[in-house]
Amino acid sequence: MRPWSLLLVLLVALPLVAGVATLPPHDAPDAPIHTQVGALYLERGVAETGMKNMVTAVLLNYRGFDTFIEVVVIFTALAAVLALPKGSAPVPKGSAPVPKGSAPVPKGSAPVGKGSSPTSPSAGAARSREDEERPEVASDVPVSPVVRFVVRLLAPFIAMFAVAMLFRGHITPGGGFQAAAVFAAIFIALGLALGQDRAARLVPVDWRPWLQGVAPLAFALVAWIGWRLTGAFLGYPIHDHTAQEAMGFVLEIGIAVGGGVILARVFLEMET
Amino acid sequence: MSDVFDVVMLTLLIATAVTVARARDLLAAVVIFSMYSLTMTLVWQHRGAPDVAMTEAAVGAGVTTVLFLITIARTTRREKP
Amino acid sequence: MQPFGLDLDYVAVVVLFCVGLYMLVAKSNLLKKLLGLNVMETAVFAFIVTAGMVEGGDPPIMVAGTSAPFASPIPHAMVLTGIVVAVSVTAVALALIVQIHAHFGTIEIDELKELP
Repeated sequence: MRPWSLLLVLLVALPLVAGVATLPPHDAPDAPIHTQVGALYLERGVAETGMKNMVTAVLLNYRGFDTFIEVVVIFTALAAVLALPKGSAPVPKGSAPVPKGSAPVPKGSAPVGKGSSPTSPSAGAARSREDEERPEVASDVPVSPVVRFVVRLLAPFIAMFAVAMLFRGHITPGGGFQAAAVFAAIFIALGLALGQDRAARLVPVDWRPWLQGVAPLAFALVAWIGWRLTGAFLGYPIHDHTAQEAMGFVLEIGIAVGGGVILARVFLEMET
Repeated sequence: MSDVFDVVMLTLLIATAVTVARARDLLAAVVIFSMYSLTMTLVWQHRGAPDVAMTEAAVGAGVTTVLFLITIARTTRREKP
Repeated sequence: MQPFGLDLDYVAVVVLFCVGLYMLVAKSNLLKKLLGLNVMETAVFAFIVTAGMVEGGDPPIMVAGTSAPFASPIPHAMVLTGIVVAVSVTAVALALIVQIHAHFGTIEIDELKELP
């Protein structure tokens, strides 16, 4: 318990509590948060946007610029992760750092007994060095066949649920981000249960740059379409529900595929 | 009835957050953090935010916890006091 | 619930924020600091969602089963964006922690300060 840190936390906590005490009670229906712009969105949302899910309407339609920048943020995070040097065999303190392109250390995700092992020739020497540095890590733990069977059985159904959530995102809770997170979770489950190389084939290497960038590209495309239709960047034609639904679908598919591939790629980069 | 649910959930949130802070074993800290994330999902569902709850459930359990576990596997498992 | 005129939900969120802040500032392990950052972020999201709720209100989805009063949809959109940003920050920070451990052998700030 460090005293200066506790003092800092107290100094932050007291103004926060004082500020929070001035707010109206959190479940009052006449608080300002419910009577200003939010009420307008709830009243006119269905007629103006054609979507029944107001959260998706706010995300894609009324506050579409925020979502545009946010998909660029997650793309930038992937760029930052990819910019770090690959290979992380640990070095003893005081010696030179490991040069770039050193052999990636095989982790416990490769199932024992299958022929698809991702080891490279110099990994044996790296592994003996890492074993004596990290004795408590169990590398090459075989994955149980029960886990493998269940993951392979359930993965198509989970993917179908994610696609259903994606396409019904405008009438039920759901939408692009939820589908992206579930796609990434499926990829991670398959990667942990079946091995890195078999799961990595789900995202073909040739298409990776385009798949990773599809969310900002979809937003740029729909923004251009909106400019041609209404004259405003990312402008939706009000009361034309067909065009708005089409634009919303393109955006949601872009967010789901782009976000899912980005999170899966981050997992791949950290695992290998 | 909803007040009792709120009080229990908030107490659970604070208890799990304090336990994450005090755990010396990083694996235990990450597992309890995923439990904190699940409790937060239930709180948000109770507050009328199903979209947010679904996103936090998928992200907290699927992505964040797994990335933390990969990091622990590649670094250390115990925190030095 | 309003003991002493303070809203219990808001005070709980402030306590969570301070727990996260303490983990971020006082702990020496980089992974603990990152966990503290995540706790702070989810506490802020809880505050935003709590500010937008209505007692006994329905989610802001206009289907047959829901009726007024609705929870406000703007905080939900903000929190969704916030969750994605939190995941991005966590991913980059974890990749950096792995690299720091690979090059220096430790992820404790106290030991990293003493390296030449």
